Amino acid sequence: MRLFQARSRISRHALPWVVACALSFASSLPASPLLDSDRPEYPPDTTELDSQARDCLRCHAMETLAYRDPETGEILDLAVDPRLLSHSVHGEMACTECHRRSYRRYPHPEQAGRETFSCVGCHEDDPEDATYQFLSIEEEYARSVHVAPGASEAEDFSCHSCHDPHVFRVSRVGKEIGQVVRDDNRVCMSCHRELTDPLDTTHAWLPKRDAHWASVRCLECHTPPSDRAERVSHQILPAEDSARDCVGCHSSDARLLNRLYHYRSQEDLARKGLIAKALFNEAYVVGMSRNPTLDALSLLVIGLTLLGLTAHGVGRYLTYRRRTNRQ
Amino acid sequence: MKGLLRVPSWSRIKPVLVVSLILAFLLAIAYKTLYPLLFKAYVGESTAVLTYANSHELTETEFEQLARDLTEQARYRKASEVVEPDQHPFARQVKLEILMNTPSFVRETEPSHIKYFREAGIRRYEGPKTCLQCHATIQVEHADGTRSRVDTLEDIVNSVHFKFQTDAGGFSTYGYDGRKVNAIGDRRIPVGKIDRACGIPGSFTWTGWAALIEGRPESEDGEPGEIELRSEGCGQCHIGGNYYPATEKMMPIGDVPEQAKAGIDCLICHSSEYDMNQRYVIRDQVGLRWNQDRSLRAALTVGPVSNRNCLNCHQHNMGGDAYLHNVAAQSPGERHPRVMHKGAKRGNPFSPADDVHAAAGIQCTDCHVPEGHKIPRGRFGVDLVANDLPDKDVACEGCHSRAPHNNSKHKALLNGHIARIACETCHIKKLQENNVVLRDWVHPTWNAKEGLYEPTDVYRSGEPGKGFTYLWFNGNGTFLANALGNNPNGSADYNPLMQQIARIQDPEVIAAVRAKAIELKETYPDIDVEAYVRAATDPLSQLSPEMLERREAMIQDNLRAAMNEGESRIYPFKLFNAMMYEDMSNQGPFGAMILPFDYTTYYETGDTRASLVEALKDPILIRMYQTPFKLYMMDEFMAYFGVSGGWTTAYPLADGRLGNVEPHWMRQMGTLMVNHGIQREGRVCRDCHAPDGILDYPALGYEPERAAELADLDLIESVDWEATE
Repeated sequence: MRLFQARSRISRHALPWVVACALSFASSLPASPLLDSDRPEYPPDTTELDSQARDCLRCHAMETLAYRDPETGEILDLAVDPRLLSHSVHGEMACTECHRRSYRRYPHPEQAGRETFSCVGCHEDDPEDATYQFLSIEEEYARSVHVAPGASEAEDFSCHSCHDPHVFRVSRVGKEIGQVVRDDNRVCMSCHRELTDPLDTTHAWLPKRDAHWASVRCLECHTPPSDRAERVSHQILPAEDSARDCVGCHSSDARLLNRLYHYRSQEDLARKGLIAKALFNEAYVVGMSRNPTLDALSLLVIGLTLLGLTAHGVGRYLTYRRRTNRQ
Repeated sequence: MKGLLRVPSWSRIKPVLVVSLILAFLLAIAYKTLYPLLFKAYVGESTAVLTYANSHELTETEFEQLARDLTEQARYRKASEVVEPDQHPFARQVKLEILMNTPSFVRETEPSHIKYFREAGIRRYEGPKTCLQCHATIQVEHADGTRSRVDTLEDIVNSVHFKFQTDAGGFSTYGYDGRKVNAIGDRRIPVGKIDRACGIPGSFTWTGWAALIEGRPESEDGEPGEIELRSEGCGQCHIGGNYYPATEKMMPIGDVPEQAKAGIDCLICHSSEYDMNQRYVIRDQVGLRWNQDRSLRAALTVGPVSNRNCLNCHQHNMGGDAYLHNVAAQSPGERHPRVMHKGAKRGNPFSPADDVHAAAGIQCTDCHVPEGHKIPRGRFGVDLVANDLPDKDVACEGCHSRAPHNNSKHKALLNGHIARIACETCHIKKLQENNVVLRDWVHPTWNAKEGLYEPTDVYRSGEPGKGFTYLWFNGNGTFLANALGNNPNGSADYNPLMQQIARIQDPEVIAAVRAKAIELKETYPDIDVEAYVRAATDPLSQLSPEMLERREAMIQDNLRAAMNEGESRIYPFKLFNAMMYEDMSNQGPFGAMILPFDYTTYYETGDTRASLVEALKDPILIRMYQTPFKLYMMDEFMAYFGVSGGWTTAYPLADGRLGNVEPHWMRQMGTLMVNHGIQREGRVCRDCHAPDGILDYPALGYEPERAAELADLDLIESVDWEATE
């Protein structure tokens, strides 16, 4: 399994954010400080890292450490950003805890390039990781279109195709929704480049396609409705099984509420009540921002208006009758 | 209410309308006729209808003979490529002939314009007039894929190849005052090669456009021989055919005279058979100008622009005139042969012999992809050269991707270097030996073989650390061509303008300069050898303590930001300094206004002061020292130059005597980008990662520990690096 191939398709700078939202279910866990500056500190501070990692980083910290795979022609990115690594959940580990020990020497042995990694392999029995429900993730993943029987590139696909373990870290609530959407979708689009082809017709049915892509995650339609409100399923659906019903999102009982906007915790929504629901975290979704109180109020206003109109009409009619009678 | 609505009567409007129409008409006439005359008188230029001896009418028979010769040559060339060489010569000859006379082969091989000219009845080539008959407009494909149709003549006249300057933005050059040259919001002035201060040519375009020099070559035993006329001047490489560069284009209004437009040399760029032997200075009733090849032969062989076309001029600034494979230099002119410069401007040739891309048949326009007549030079420009397409990339990555190494066992590590090291740094290992580093214009040397006085090249070298050095570069440059950039660690110590490029410390170079100074002293007894060596190798020693202090402050206050911008990588830069006469009334911490030489006086007499006096008499220089010119551009020019208080209009020549003029070395070396002469075999690890490596890590702003680590990598000891490429 080629770990680095898929990872190379994802912009390195995007990854921390990507991971942050992919792990949004873990929002109750303590958050590590986010990195604010656009320009990385240089040279990066690696004191937090394992000493062996520091050795590896002598080469792997080179931003352009990469080569072209002669088999696929794709550029395989071998760079690890020391700054992101040191902030990641795996930051304190020695590289050989996951990678083969033969990697400690340079040049690395040829066969070392073929490694298999499994998240569950480490995380399965860890009681601290119960929140992550790795086993159910694995089940969902096994049904995913990327690896389901018959998937053409199943062999090359792994967790790391989307999630970079070198930058993986616990997320924090507070990121702007638009940024969450952009970062998440960039993961999908880094492989599905065919979708950016102006002649592509796969989403032609979707009204205002580009507007949707800019403000909704691919996952909202391409994963099954999940039982657990707190997490998006890892079962990525094929096109034919994906959601196509507009009402799913454009209604008060919106699917989006349990997904994207769940990112802002339920409590957060509840506390702010009406205003939060009406404005829905920087986003406005047609049809979704309905509010029972508001509905009742509107009905009341309409009823009162009707009542007023009827009263007025009746009054006019009565006066008319009185006048004609007098004559 | 009524008064407000009243409309003036027609009888009242009519006279006003008539008068304004007449005025507008008169103004238009004045603009079209009077303004060009006044402008010409002001800058002291003249034009005339330009004629060329080699542009003459061919008879029908002559035309067909020429057509037959050309197609035969073309057929032979192409057939030779097809017919295998490993056979009996006679058998091959027979096959060549068969192929050359095969109808489909003839059809495909004949130069396309033979047919066009034959049908249109064109029997004489008359310059742009002939070309524009069919090519009045051309379709231009832009970088974003859109297409537009433009007027061909307009397109070329407004290109940098014609104007040599621009008052548009798009410079990556910063003034020493910290402002980006011609930035949005600033008052823009026309700058570029036409008027920049540069010590390499020793002159500037107006005073050095076209010169005829009487060479007096001596025979081997020192006997004076016959006088030989030689051609020299900037006009040899610039396509305007007139007596002067296109000064008109430096004004916001007005246009180049029609005669000058008719003098544009289309064929030097578009003909595959252009004869560079036609390129020499001619004198007519009006003055001196450059001849060109306007033969029908050249016109009939127009085709896609090839490397040969570009290199007609550009090998001069890459490999140099003396470069073995400079094809144009092999045809110096059938009359008045051009003076060939022995010292190379960059010494990085583009030819199959010395550049891997040229060897692969890559065309200049494959990387410098033109849009019409506008040709990009890339986003990175260290010197003050105008750029027609400043937003268009010309970069290795465009073809090679960001992971270019595929052959070496250590390809990933090699690719890893790209974040910090430019491709050129490893793949240009040396420049031509005659790459000139220090040129003394003030003490010329007699060249007996040519019978000319030439500027003395005090030091030439193509070696790293001597002829060129390595600097951080983010694409920005200063007004006097110094690469800007900084170590990504944000070093406050990296300061090439006070260190690397303002000081020569290599003992071998210093010794060579001293030897040259001793040699010069034989001709110029006034030279104080030690003072000469000091000024040449430590040009900052020419500054007063106050100037030096101001210089340091200006670097920190004005240039640091431009240095820290973007992402810098280490690039190789050719180094250059020159001793020139300078106008000391316009002096700043980075240099004073360089004064030009009159080539004829210079080359013939070697009397540099007389040559300077002659050049100063040029009308444009007189105008330069007057108030309108000061206000129009020189104040701004000097602000970029780092001279505070504006342009001082004290004309350095009074009653034929030189005023406040002194010979000096520029206060720092210029750094010219080198991007050609790319070699397949790059550098190996030890070239840089060794205590005596080519990179001076501390000077490049690395912390002492990191510098020590980089200079002595333990990793290198443990690995077999032989396979590195």
